[in-house]
Amino acid sequence: MKLEVKNLSKTFDTKEAVKSVSFGVEAGEFLSILGPSGCGKTTLLRMLIGLITPSDGQVIKDGVDITNAPPSQRKMGFVFQNYALFENMTVLQNIEYALKIKKETKAIARETALRLIEKMGLTEHKDKKPNSLSGGQQQRVAIARTLALNPDVILFDEPMSALDVATRLALRKELKDIQKEFNTTMIYITHDQEEAFAMSDKILVMDTAVAVQLDTPENIIKHPVNDYVKNFVVENLKIKIESLSKYIGVAEGDIE
Amino acid sequence: MVTLKQKMRSLIDKGLMSKILIGIILLILIVVPIIRMLVYIDKESFENVFGSKLFVNNLINSLTSTAVATVISIVLGYLLAWAITRTDIKCKYLFTILITLPMLIPSISHGMGLIILFGNNGIITRLFGASNSIYGFWGVVIGSVLYSFPIAFIMIADILKYEDQSPYEAADVLGIPKIRQFTAITYPYIRKPMISVVFAVFTMIVTDYGVPLSVGGKFKTLPVMLYEEAVGQLNYSVGSVIGLVLLVPAIAAFLFDLFNKDKGNASYVQRSYHTKTKWRDPLGYTVVSVCSLMVILVVFSFVIQAFAKSYPRDLSFTLEHFENTFSKKGGKFLVNSILIALFTSVFGVALATTTAYLTARMQSKSSRLLHLMAIVSLAIPGLVLGLAYVIVFKKSFFYGTIAILVLVNTVHFFASPYLMIYNAFGKLNENLEEVGQILGISRPRIIFNVILPQSKYTLIEMFSYFFVNCMMTISAVSFLATSANRPISLLINQFETYNMMECAAVVALLILVINMLMKAIVYLIKKVGSKYVDKKSI
Repeated sequence: MKLEVKNLSKTFDTKEAVKSVSFGVEAGEFLSILGPSGCGKTTLLRMLIGLITPSDGQVIKDGVDITNAPPSQRKMGFVFQNYALFENMTVLQNIEYALKIKKETKAIARETALRLIEKMGLTEHKDKKPNSLSGGQQQRVAIARTLALNPDVILFDEPMSALDVATRLALRKELKDIQKEFNTTMIYITHDQEEAFAMSDKILVMDTAVAVQLDTPENIIKHPVNDYVKNFVVENLKIKIESLSKYIGVAEGDIE
Repeated sequence: MVTLKQKMRSLIDKGLMSKILIGIILLILIVVPIIRMLVYIDKESFENVFGSKLFVNNLINSLTSTAVATVISIVLGYLLAWAITRTDIKCKYLFTILITLPMLIPSISHGMGLIILFGNNGIITRLFGASNSIYGFWGVVIGSVLYSFPIAFIMIADILKYEDQSPYEAADVLGIPKIRQFTAITYPYIRKPMISVVFAVFTMIVTDYGVPLSVGGKFKTLPVMLYEEAVGQLNYSVGSVIGLVLLVPAIAAFLFDLFNKDKGNASYVQRSYHTKTKWRDPLGYTVVSVCSLMVILVVFSFVIQAFAKSYPRDLSFTLEHFENTFSKKGGKFLVNSILIALFTSVFGVALATTTAYLTARMQSKSSRLLHLMAIVSLAIPGLVLGLAYVIVFKKSFFYGTIAILVLVNTVHFFASPYLMIYNAFGKLNENLEEVGQILGISRPRIIFNVILPQSKYTLIEMFSYFFVNCMMTISAVSFLATSANRPISLLINQFETYNMMECAAVVALLILVINMLMKAIVYLIKKVGSKYVDKKSI
């Protein structure tokens, strides 16, 4: 699988939300789109899945132009910020629902769903309703629901912003594990520099409506292309590390 | 580039065609009849009505009795709401049921209850030897209070329930005196919603003809005048002029609400209000007990009138009044009522749900217009709506059928259930349809398999709202009922006219029992449902 985005733009009325953004993602890669709130990253993601029609530009997947293809025919998954689980259904029903609709036999749908539930460590929760699960468990259900249709790439719209720090840290690792296990390409939106650097193979840094740098985390630190990247990414991370290391040093001292 | 085809698709995606269709239905059902009625007014009848002493007299009667009744209702409603939301009295649930019982019976039966209690042969009159006649101004006021205080109670309780105590605690810490706390915190919080309540209660009373018709005697109000002119003498043009006058307070209330969206109801209450003083709970008990007793007295008056052989002479138990009622076509009309209520509930829930889906979950500029059309029926008193319908449909094949009563009731009671499901849909996760798009699940499937199941309790509440109101309404239907399609609620007035109070009491009791059954069924469904959910999710 290879995803190419060429000059993708979106204008709402007169406001340019996304301005000629281009990038590519290789199979199995974890790409983060990093930018401040309101920079247009969610609009970009919604154009990739087809929930928003671009004003201009193309989305090409494995050489096929899918810019105007319906969302369900792109073989892409999408995890919403609020997960959007079906609250009236159990975990199992949430995961097998789409398969049943797609005319899979009942047995196959059930088997696939149960396999995913097991891999996601949700077995003991499979008959519960989503609202009785923790935020992290809900996210796993949302991912499993997406994985059930075996997508080539999964898009994440800031899925951790509603979770507490401890859960976020645990889920970061989990997400990477899932990626390895299913060998799925992932595109992940965040405004959190630390999160992007902890998980990504590549990071696309966005300023208002435009993409400014696409590179590996290492290269972005070493060679920020302009002052914006330097300030928004590098300096921010430095401040975080400095302020934390001071306390961590103290804490370690105490332990000793 | 975006092609024309895509543009068309995106328009259809937002449900434009469905919106146009629903818009046309609402236009025909709500807007057109009202305009038709207003057009019906000619200059001559306009001048006749406004120039007549009778009209001016009735107008003054309406305004004075409504003003007094509104004040009493609001004070009572406030006290009750305070007792239920701010005290620790026991049996709140039971008291709430008792207090809201009057909402299950026609307004006219409150007047009748008063006559049974305080009339010349009244239970209380005989007990205490009181001699003042209940007929007239005070009868109308007391009847109207009985009819409207539960609504005031529910609305005000809703305001008080959501008041946050944190500002008061902050004020206490800062040492701000109580009186200043009231003017600076309480008053700004309750002002707008309280004005809404006042408007709603005033409108409800001023447009009701049931109470003044039964207990007003020579004291006549505008709705009674409209009723007598239009129903009694088929003088639609005079009726329309009065209808126009009655539209004024209702439209004022509607506009006030429309432009004051901020009801002060915070959706998130940090700390609900709770202060304990020595006199708090005793006062709470006193308030709810007195009001409950009032309600019980009225209901009791129906029971004694309906089951006693010949009140007050012979109090032995009999069912002959029931037999008598049924022999006067009561059975047929009861079946009519239940059919009308059931059909209206099904049709009303379907129409309100469809409309709310289009306005709440497929938002666009056109959905705002549709929303406005859906709630505009709040501004149309049932009496006016009925008159408009009879003017439009009198000569059609439709007149005299159950269907026309179903339609007029659907419109009459449309706004509240519509708002219930509109709010419920608005609270559901906003991305559900998009999840469907991505997973390849069609919108209808998402609606029927995800959205409606999550809204099932609201749907049940809506059904019950339509049903209960259809059973008890006497306003819009009174213009459109013939001997073929008459609902049983209209028999109360008929029996009263022939001084058959026993049969009138039987009818009021039947309506009350059926509506209580409906409420009980809803309660049980909810209770069983939530138990089932709890079990499953543990």
